[in-house]
Amino acid sequence: MSVAPLEFVRASRWYGPVIALNDVTVEIPPGVTGLLGPNGAGKSTFLKLAAGQLSPSQGEVRLLGVPAWGSPAVFHRVGFCPEVDAFWEGLTGLEFLMILLRLTGFDERECRERAEKALQEVALLDAKDRKIGGYSKGMRQRVKLAQSIAHEPELLFLDEPVSGMDPVNRRRVIDLVKRMGREGRTVVVSSHILHEVEAMTRRVLLIHNGRILAEGDVREIRDLMDEHPHTVALRARDPRSLAEAVVRLPHVLSLSFGPEGEWVTVQTAKPDEFYGAVSGAAIEAGVSEMYSPDEDLESVFKYLVAR
Amino acid sequence: MPIYEQTYRRYEAREPLRAVRFWPITREALRIILARRAFLALLAGSWIPFIVRVVQIYVVTRFPEAGRILPVDGRLFGEFLNQQIVFTLLLSIFGGAGLIANDLRTGAILVYLSRPLTRRDYVLGKLGVLLALNLSVTLVPGLLLYALALALAPELFLKWSLAWIGPAVVLHSAVVSLSVGLLSLAVSSLSRSARVAGLGFAGLFLGLEVVRGILAQGFGLRPVALLSLRADLRALGAALFGVAERGPSLPWSWPAAVLLAVSLLCLVILRSRVRAVEIVS
Amino acid sequence: MTDGTGSAARGRDTARPLSLAVAARGVFDLALQGMVWSRRSLLMAILLGLPAAVSILYRVVPKAWVPSRLGGPDLYALIAVFYYVRNFLPLAALFYATALIADEVEGRTLPYLLTRPIPRSAILLGKFAAYLTTTLTLTLPATVVTFFLLLTARGFAGLGASVPDLFRDMGVMVLALLAYGALFTLLGVLLRRPVIPGLLFLFAWELIANLPGYLPRFTITVWLRSLMTHHPAEEGLAGLFAQTLPAGMCLGVLAALIAGFLGLSLWIFSTREYVLEQ
Repeated sequence: MSVAPLEFVRASRWYGPVIALNDVTVEIPPGVTGLLGPNGAGKSTFLKLAAGQLSPSQGEVRLLGVPAWGSPAVFHRVGFCPEVDAFWEGLTGLEFLMILLRLTGFDERECRERAEKALQEVALLDAKDRKIGGYSKGMRQRVKLAQSIAHEPELLFLDEPVSGMDPVNRRRVIDLVKRMGREGRTVVVSSHILHEVEAMTRRVLLIHNGRILAEGDVREIRDLMDEHPHTVALRARDPRSLAEAVVRLPHVLSLSFGPEGEWVTVQTAKPDEFYGAVSGAAIEAGVSEMYSPDEDLESVFKYLVAR
Repeated sequence: MPIYEQTYRRYEAREPLRAVRFWPITREALRIILARRAFLALLAGSWIPFIVRVVQIYVVTRFPEAGRILPVDGRLFGEFLNQQIVFTLLLSIFGGAGLIANDLRTGAILVYLSRPLTRRDYVLGKLGVLLALNLSVTLVPGLLLYALALALAPELFLKWSLAWIGPAVVLHSAVVSLSVGLLSLAVSSLSRSARVAGLGFAGLFLGLEVVRGILAQGFGLRPVALLSLRADLRALGAALFGVAERGPSLPWSWPAAVLLAVSLLCLVILRSRVRAVEIVS
Repeated sequence: MTDGTGSAARGRDTARPLSLAVAARGVFDLALQGMVWSRRSLLMAILLGLPAAVSILYRVVPKAWVPSRLGGPDLYALIAVFYYVRNFLPLAALFYATALIADEVEGRTLPYLLTRPIPRSAILLGKFAAYLTTTLTLTLPATVVTFFLLLTARGFAGLGASVPDLFRDMGVMVLALLAYGALFTLLGVLLRRPVIPGLLFLFAWELIANLPGYLPRFTITVWLRSLMTHHPAEEGLAGLFAQTLPAGMCLGVLAALIAGFLGLSLWIFSTREYVLEQ
């Protein structure tokens, strides 16, 4: 039986009277998982427990089958990119990576090869001999990411990995994360920027008030949320005739027109049946665009947090 | 119009507030420092010599013969204030080391200087903290001791010939508090770590003392006494209160000149270090 | 180069953390680089190198100008005992050793080290070794220069006989840096604000060494003083009650103190959680 890369078994962590993480049981499979939650939800505590920087007050946290706390050997196969912008500023980018690779057990030659490769991945090879103190915010973020991937870990924790990056580098990092997920690595990405997490993965772990709110595919989670009708927006050449056809459908709960008169917004309890039923009317009314504004992560998140 | 515009309205501070715009900096810093129990314990401990001196005065008034071993006159205040210099050092390390260092490290100095505050207001605000702390262990107990001496031993102290004690206490306390405060602030501005600044300040004071001792014993030169800032402050106290100090005595103008020079140097350092923008070459 | 599982590179045992020695060596290199090129070390270099400058002054300034000055050997004794062993080496230890972990915590770089496959104790050991290397590099050459300048002030006669004293003094300086360094490392690991307790220890507690009886044995300075060959004249209590304890006992106690303080520091650091402020 293969071991889950990351496992929380009834894990709790409190700081004095404050419970930061409350009886969490979850297995993170290989692939990319987005870790989401409002401020103070327990994301940082979750990541610190996972990265072995804290021990659980109760329960267990296992990394690749061994306890995360007190098992330094596991960090041969684990990478961690912290959120804080902190470095040994007097080191160059290359020196920074090489020193950390040395502390991961590589010899001098391999340290240099891996360091340069990782810097290449994050487009920092040209700046490798510049001191980190002179790097821009985006460059600092990238070199921090580079140190977490340089030893090619199986399991990677990324805390706000694209913070401070320009759009080009943000795209590069998102592509890198997706590629690592396809390669079978386990990547846990914590972020507040929901649409970027959506760009990396459909699998999320939502935390709120120290408890797991939901886990799994965003769409599946949405489908299970019966109390929130799905919203579907349609843009049509003849919105009134479309509305006339749609309002007769049994599972349509409400209907409204957009401000410019081209859009019809429908609330339905059964989105799949609605899509099947509306196709004929959509063709007749000349529907040119259709989407669901609340199947995105932000809407799911808002609905779950507000419960 | 029945419906008013809810747009931004500019607020102008009233004229008198401009003179005291450094005060919130002092007030908030003091509030944070005084919330620490360890600091309050240090502050309480620094009043122990005051209690000892009060007891000394009381004992001498009850048993006048004791005055031969424990003389109670104007010099008592000089000795007391010279002893309190150690506590001003400790308070400056504890409360003052991080005043500017922490702001430089966290970038809070940008926040301060983006307000309608000048650099002078900022430095005054921070200096106010150190003055408040140092005066609380020099001026306050010094004047209280004088008041108690007048109350407990009026026959000894209620004389025109000793009327200089009060002003001397004020002057000595002010010089000690200002010199130590400026130096602590200047050292704090030279580092981004409160710990390094505190140690640097302690090292400077204590280190110069050791160097002075070595040079004095090794070379037998009187002017080396000026090297030690603590010795300079004690020398001023000795001159003000007529206290006999061990070691070679120098005219009081020399230590005064050294202290003035050091204070001016501290102001120059503060002027160059307290900036919103740091140019990194 | 990736194979989807990030498997071990050639020759690396990923089932075990790096050995203590290898890991400590890596941390040592990192810490030494940070210590050597820092303003802190520049200040220490000036303070610990000052006796050499004083010695040059002593040799350059004619005796006729300063007739009351001490003889060269006596001045050297004063510097070795009072300047180095009693004051500046303990201050240097306080300066560096309290900051070994505190620097990483304040700088928020500790997570990089804690998420490496190295024993935690290697982090503290490596940094302690860097502290020792830095302070010895700043102190010992200055001591040698001071020794030769002052002891040859009246010529080279008797110099050979005094050289063993130099080695003994340097040995005591090493022990001083080790003993105070281990103690202040422990303070730095235990306390959030170790500076004031450290200063109180150095300039209040250590004064107990000047008292009669067994109390001085609870200080570090009495053991170090006993090992020095020089005993310059002192005033006050120190002059009245100065004790010289057997060398073997001094070495044993100092070794035990160093091992004890360092061992405790390593244990506490290995088991402690560090929750860094975000």
